[in-house]
Formats: sequence, C-alpha cells, structure tokens
Amino acid sequence: MTASRIDIFTVRFPDPSSPSFNDDQRWITLPTNVSFRYPITDNIQTLSSKNAGYDASGILYVPELRSDECKKSEEAYVPANATRSRNLPSSNPGIPLIALAPWFSPTCMKEYLESVRKDSVRVLFVFQPGTDRAMPPPMADASWGLGDGGAWKSANDFPTYAINAASGSVILAQMTLYSGNLSEVPHGKDLSSALDSTDYVRLWARVETDAVNRLPSLWVFLIIVLAILMTIIAATSLTMHCVQRRRREELRRRVINGEINLEAVGVKRLTVPREFLEKLPSYTYSAPAHDSENTMPQLPPSVLLASSTGPDSQPTAGARPWMRSSSAPSLSRADGQSPAFSQPSCPICLDDFESNETQVRELPCRHIFHPDCIDPYLLNNSSLCPICKESVMPSGYCPTRITNVMVRRERMLRRAGNRRPSGPASSLGPLSSPIHLGLLGSRIGGVISGRRVFSAPDHRRARSDEEMAISNAAPLSTDAAPGTATSSGATPLSARSDPGCGEIDHEERRERARERALTLLGNRHVPSGDEDEEASGPWWRRGLRKVFPGFR
Amino acid sequence: MSTGAKKRILREYAECQNDPLPGVKINFDEQNMTKWEILMDGPDQSVYAGGHYKLEINFPNEYPFKPPVVSFKTKIYHPNVSNDDKGSMCLGLLRPEEWKPPNKVISVLHLIRNLLIEPNPDDAIELSIANDYKTNRAEFDKTAKDWVKRYAK
Repeated sequence: MTASRIDIFTVRFPDPSSPSFNDDQRWITLPTNVSFRYPITDNIQTLSSKNAGYDASGILYVPELRSDECKKSEEAYVPANATRSRNLPSSNPGIPLIALAPWFSPTCMKEYLESVRKDSVRVLFVFQPGTDRAMPPPMADASWGLGDGGAWKSANDFPTYAINAASGSVILAQMTLYSGNLSEVPHGKDLSSALDSTDYVRLWARVETDAVNRLPSLWVFLIIVLAILMTIIAATSLTMHCVQRRRREELRRRVINGEINLEAVGVKRLTVPREFLEKLPSYTYSAPAHDSENTMPQLPPSVLLASSTGPDSQPTAGARPWMRSSSAPSLSRADGQSPAFSQPSCPICLDDFESNETQVRELPCRHIFHPDCIDPYLLNNSSLCPICKESVMPSGYCPTRITNVMVRRERMLRRAGNRRPSGPASSLGPLSSPIHLGLLGSRIGGVISGRRVFSAPDHRRARSDEEMAISNAAPLSTDAAPGTATSSGATPLSARSDPGCGEIDHEERRERARERALTLLGNRHVPSGDEDEEASGPWWRRGLRKVFPGFR
Repeated sequence: MSTGAKKRILREYAECQNDPLPGVKINFDEQNMTKWEILMDGPDQSVYAGGHYKLEINFPNEYPFKPPVVSFKTKIYHPNVSNDDKGSMCLGLLRPEEWKPPNKVISVLHLIRNLLIEPNPDDAIELSIANDYKTNRAEFDKTAKDWVKRYAK
C-alpha cells in the first residue's frame, strides 16, 4: 500500500463553537484564485502503511514537542507561525488531522510521535530537512531508524509517508500564512466579505493510495476462486439431481401407465414375488375338450388330432407336437373371453400333460406349464413368460425403486432404438430394440423350419407366438391385431418381405454385427442387480456418481 | 443344473436318435451331458459337400431358458460362422432374446444344416465373407471348397 499522490488545498470551515455553526458547510475548498494549492505526484516514500487502506484527508498541522531542547532545535526547521493544534478549533476533537513533521533528530521525532498519537491523526508526513528534491530514502534506510528496530511504525495506528525536503519546506512556509484568523490569511480581505469572520481557513491534505495494491491478497483471491468453483459444482450437482429425479419420475409414470415394461425392454430383470405367483391360477389339466367349467378353453380333440398328423406338419413339426396349425377352426366362448393356446405338453421339460392328472400353472398370457418347471424360473430369473415374453405381472406394476442406472439404461436403449435403420421394426418405436432383433431372428428361423413369419410391421403381440400357434384367428387382446397373422405355418419364403433390410448400408450392418458379437458373448442379458452396479467401481467414481447423477 | 434340465437333455438326445438327420452324428457323454459333440457332413447340395465338420453344443446351466451355444470346431468359410478359434454361430433362434424354452436341439441342428445349404449373408457375423457371397458368388464357392479341402477332410 503506497501513497500515489498528495494534494494540498486550502479549505474553510466554520468554528464549531460559533452560534451559526452549520455542519453542512464544513470543509469547503476555496477557489484556486484566492487560495494555495500544491499537488505532490511523485517522490512520495511510504514509510509505514499501517491502516492505509483508504484515501485519507485532514487539516495539516505541526505537532507539539515536549522537551525544550527539541523545541529549540525545531526552530531551525519550522517557522514560528506554522499551524499548530492551538490554531485549530479546540472544542471539536472530531476534526480530521494530518501531521507534518521535520525529521531532524531521532529523539525529537519520538516526541513528535508521542504527540501525534495523542492527537489521533489520520496520516503523518515527515521530511528530512534540506533542499533535496529527489525521492526520500526507502523505508529500510538507516536514516529512518529511531533505535527501536522499526517498532515505531507498528506502534502508530496511522500510515507515515515521507516527502522530499523541498515540498516539506514549501508546505511549512504556506502553513505560516494559513494559521491565523480569517482576516490574516492571504486574500483575507476578499474572503471576509463572503465568509463569516469566525470561519477558519487552513491547509488541507488529501492522500490517494495506490489502487493497484488494494486488490485482495493472493489468499483472498484463492478463496474467492474456490468459492466460485464450489458454487458452480453445487449448482451443477443440484441441476443434475433435479433432472435425474424428473427422469426417474417420468420413467416410473410410464411404467405405472403400462407404456413400458422394464424387463421387456431390457432395463431391469424382475422376478415374481411368491405372493404374486401363488395368485396365478393353477389347476388340473384336462384333455382338450370343450368344457365351459374349465378355466382353460381347449380345442376339440379332432383339431388336436388333425394337427399332429395333418398334412401341414413340417418335418420339424413332428418333434413339436404342441405346434398347431392356425388354420384350425376358431372357437369363441360364450362369455366372450379369448381362448387360450392349446398345449398338450410342458414347453420346459417337454413332458406331456396327463389329462385330469397333471397340475398346471397358467400365466396371464394363457400359456401353461408344470408349476415345478415354471415357478423357480419366475421366482429367480424373470417375470416374463418364457414363451411369449409377456409380463406375468399386471401392467403398471412398478416393483422397485427406479434408480438412475435404470433411467440411463432405458434412455440408452431408447436412443439405440431410434437410431436403428428403417425396417419392419422401426415402426415399433422405442420398444423396438430387442424386438427388432427378434424379427430378424425370426426371419432366419423361418428359413430353416418353414415356420410362420410375420411380415406385417405392427405385431408386437404376435411376434411372441411363433412356436405356439394360435388356436384361432380371434385377436388375443383388443388392442393387438394378430388376426393378420393367421398365415399357415407353410408360408412360402418368397412371401416374406423385408423392406429396408437389403438396403442397410455397410456401416449399420457393421454395427449390427458388433451387437450380435456382443450378444454372443452374453453381454446383452438383462442385468439383474443394478444396485450392485451403482455401488461398484472405484471410490472416486462412486462419489462422482453421487454428486453428478447421470454422469458416466 | 437342475434335474429337470438333465431330464430334458436326455429326452432331446433320445429324440435326435429316433429321428436322425442325414449326415449328422451325435457323440453323447452320459457323464457330461451338457456338452454334445456333433459330427456333421457337408450337405451334398452345398459347397461344403465332402467336408466333415466337428461342432460342439454347450448347454448353459439355465437351459432351457437360455439357448445352447453352438461352435464350429472345424474351420469353415461361411458368413454366419465366426472365423476365429471359437467358430461361434449366433443367429436365429440361437440368439438369447430370441430363444424360447420350447425350442429344441433338433431344430438347432436343422438350422445349422440349412445354413450350410443356404448361408444368410444379411445376418452375417463375417461381413467380408457375406460380401463375397453376395457379390462374387463364384469366388465364394471357390474359397469355400478350398477350405473344405484344407480343413474339413
């Protein structure tokens, strides 16, 4: 903190003890033509910067000395009439003061210092007497020593600036002129006509400190930078938390509305809780005879017979006795319920169901299994029917807390779905990811066994029934339209149309091949424990995920 | 592996024996029934005619909920078989998301045999071979036959 400029003005101020004292009229600078002005813009040496953080100003005066020896030696340097504290209004200790003292001997300087501390000045100017116009010696110079190792600087509660001898003498000389009453100062006659006769006219000094050095110190700067960084991090974190929370709620809403099944799209592997499983119908299998008492509508035996030995049986159909020709006559139940599939054997262990003997479990999609075969699978592995991949849970069942990992996975899959080339499956929209592959797969499958393949694009439901021929042509549910899928198992290969598949460019095919390779490695399975994933990875990664959810 | 799954594999083996595919022989080990060794002859009407291929079918623990894994132990020039030491094959009903428990090994064998007769370049795992097959059929046939001589005799 250094002083960059000192200005000396002449000011007038009213006597605080006069009856007409008005506080508003204090410290009025007199016009240039009737006053003294003296700017010092260079050669100011800062000796002590104590409390120098602001621009200071005050009435200039010369402090009193105590000892007679010093008073005597002072006479050589200070003119007799220079402004002293006795020339200032005594009744007002609130007058701002700036002291000016010649540094002629350490002993007397100490007396000056005692005096200015008592007067509680704002600033002390010193100068080493002489005629020097140059820069006063620097702070560390021996000539500024008082034999106390510089302790005088810290004992002061004001800054000390050294000016050169020439400026000091000029100011002292002027101070002799501006120490008397109004009529005695230069231009006193002119002034007294305009001013109150009790007004004081004195020299006033203002110190401007260097603005550059008033910048906060490095530490303060560091702290500010840190604080800004922390604020940015906190704001980002908060925003990401909010966004993630909204996404979680959105996903949850979609799950509850039944727009999406977490397991079907491959976001989260779900299992069926035991109490749900026990609610699923289980009954004794009865031979495929039309029995209205039975919860399981069946085909007439004749159809069964026809299908197992019928002319439409493919070479492989012999090995698949449950495969029905969909040309079977359709059944309609009196109560309007859609009929189920006819299954003479358990698709898991391939054992035939014994009529009126075997206990079977029926899933909501109406596929039936041995409870021993299907229950462990549903309890431990999946909530989807192994045949048609339809959820066993009611639509809108949201089993777990939606986590950020699930949100991320779902978004990824959706994005991947939207990126897919236009083909039969693209119209399936966001759900297409696994289904698309499914269609491709079924296309290949169709080549081999001549199984029925759907060429219509919108068979979300029908896709599931390649193996299980539908026992009639009626829609499985009101919103799907498998009626269009009633082509027989012997659909000619040439009838299949795969628009787009042949035109997929090389890049996309490469991408598909890569995905397939991943599938091969088993990476595409539906993940089971995303909580594990959330808690995995190195500590910094876990921390990062906590602070910035949704960040990868 | 559950006893149910074992029962099912045995049952499927019996079925394959009862209704054998032409040119397909299954080496079945009672001790390690989850690993089948298949010896398949190249179908006569295909470019692989005359070749003898050794394949392996591995049944995962979750079978029949997960598909069996098919790998060619003999090198083969085919767009749907990976050209590395695994010789893996993954398409159609072999794909995990496509697999359904009612599917059976015999249909897997049918799939493999039919793919030897008619490769599926649109769903290839080896893109360069698929490209060859589609655009330069003569060259493909030549290389495939060459590989039969070199690796599959």
